[in-house]
Amino acid sequence: MKRSAAVRAAIALLALAPLVAIAVGVGLSLGAGTLPWTAALHGIEPDATVLFRLRVPRVVLAAIVGAGLSVAGVALQALLRNPLADPFIFGLSGGAAIGAALSVAVTGTALGVAGASAAGWIGLLPTQLAAILGSLAAAVLVFTLGRARGRLHPERALLVGVVFNSFASAVVIALESVLAPEKTQAVLLWLAGTLGYEPEGVLVAAGAVVLVAAAILTALAGRLNLLALGDEGAAALGVDVEATRLLAFFAASAAVGAAVALTGLVGFVGLVVPHAVRLVAGPDHRVVLPASALGGAAFLVLADAIARALFRGLGTEPPVGAVTALLGAPLFVLLLRRRT
Amino acid sequence: MTAPLLAIESVRYRHDAQSPEAVAGVSLRVDPGEVVGLIGPNAAGKSTLARIACGLLRPAAGSVQLRGDDAFALPRRERARRVAFLSQDEPADLPFTAREVALMGRAPHLGLWALEAPGDRALAEAALAEADALDLAGRPVAQLSGGERQRVFLARAFAQDAALLVLDEPTGALDLAHQVLLVRAVRRRAQSGRGALLVLHDLALAGAACDRLVLLRAGRLLAEGPPLEVLRPELLGEAYGTEVDVVPDPATGQPLVAPRIRR
Repeated sequence: MKRSAAVRAAIALLALAPLVAIAVGVGLSLGAGTLPWTAALHGIEPDATVLFRLRVPRVVLAAIVGAGLSVAGVALQALLRNPLADPFIFGLSGGAAIGAALSVAVTGTALGVAGASAAGWIGLLPTQLAAILGSLAAAVLVFTLGRARGRLHPERALLVGVVFNSFASAVVIALESVLAPEKTQAVLLWLAGTLGYEPEGVLVAAGAVVLVAAAILTALAGRLNLLALGDEGAAALGVDVEATRLLAFFAASAAVGAAVALTGLVGFVGLVVPHAVRLVAGPDHRVVLPASALGGAAFLVLADAIARALFRGLGTEPPVGAVTALLGAPLFVLLLRRRT
Repeated sequence: MTAPLLAIESVRYRHDAQSPEAVAGVSLRVDPGEVVGLIGPNAAGKSTLARIACGLLRPAAGSVQLRGDDAFALPRRERARRVAFLSQDEPADLPFTAREVALMGRAPHLGLWALEAPGDRALAEAALAEADALDLAGRPVAQLSGGERQRVFLARAFAQDAALLVLDEPTGALDLAHQVLLVRAVRRRAQSGRGALLVLHDLALAGAACDRLVLLRAGRLLAEGPPLEVLRPELLGEAYGTEVDVVPDPATGQPLVAPRIRR
């Protein structure tokens, strides 16, 4: 590790670029049916539509969500000094779940119609909109309750987030018990994390949010390193601990919010991609953050491609949130055993 | 006339509203070229005063100036370029290597993306050498022994390249040879116009290392002056509440201090 952080970050990104390229290649090739590439590229229908209207947006979506969840995971693990922190730890998953369950429950009523028209106006489904609002409300709640004596205490916020998530799952279970079975099914599927097909504008907006969040977090990376020394140690080296923590929390929450809106709760990526990157690249966040963005993108594109390919065998597409863990857990154990 | 590296004026501090004052009206200064020792029994307020000196704790009353500027009005990074702090409880479980930790000392000197220039790397390397930690450079700090870890954190403080070093119990984990090495490194820095405030429990070491000693008890200044004036049996006996012997070192004449233990 004699090389400078900039050089190590560049090496990590160059090493990951082929992985991303392979993942994108696989993501574009795999699907419910086989795709004649030459025909698609020459604009012959329906193959061109399958490629450009279905598979390309799907791969882009997976890449945005994978990158967003991974950088958020890195940031939260650093802020909480807790390796078990994941992107949903601050109650975001609970808030999103309540929002989604409520919106499914009330769809068809006046509120549902109003929600649907508001959501349709910005190109989102009512469930997505409700989930974003729910996770935003949860984030604000956790930030508020996590403060004491004028500053944010990570341990306190963590505890509030965990307690809120269990409260939320109780609310969702209660709602499910009164919902019709097919509505329950819809909520469950959404909670498991599913990639769909989003309009271009939504993809661009979500991509911009994740990109900005990743840039902010990467600029904070040096300070996140110093936070490992403790609040006082970081402050003694000139870090404004409180401002750093707030900015990083909100950048991470924005990335998670974008991901939750598009896909529901895709687990595992944000927890494990950062650890896998650290095992290979070391603990320096100036390397880990950009590398996790690429690694997370590649990983979710690949997981989604496999989920779609499974359609051929299963006749239905399993939620990508299930595939990430099925695929990621063994991979991670392999990496862990090789490195220690 | 050059401004003092550190000028603390009648500061008061309490950790919370119910507790007694940890520091109750203490003044203290460190001039360029000076090594000042902060001594006193447990809970005398030494560590609290050290943190106040670094701008890490804001006193309820009084002022703290670093080279003539209010420590709490300085931008944080500028403050960290003027004073480097080594805590008594640096984390033990860091995944970073010794070299990476030494480089953290350069943080207040870096730009937006916190990327080090070759000059920063050279300074960190020199700081590691100064703390005799160069052979540990590639190892994760979590795998080092207590004394090795202490040397790495010292290297971080050296790499920070601040005019004032504030070291809280820097010798606790160090063996004899490394205690000598630390004192010599701090004194070498003082010779080039910088200075240090050392919190020390080993009074003989304090006498050998420092130009001036400040004896605290219960948040108040009990005595201040050259080591020979402060390290007197009756004064130390009063401060620590136990009998203390002070004898001159046969070789150097420096005061050797030992508690009298009757068995």
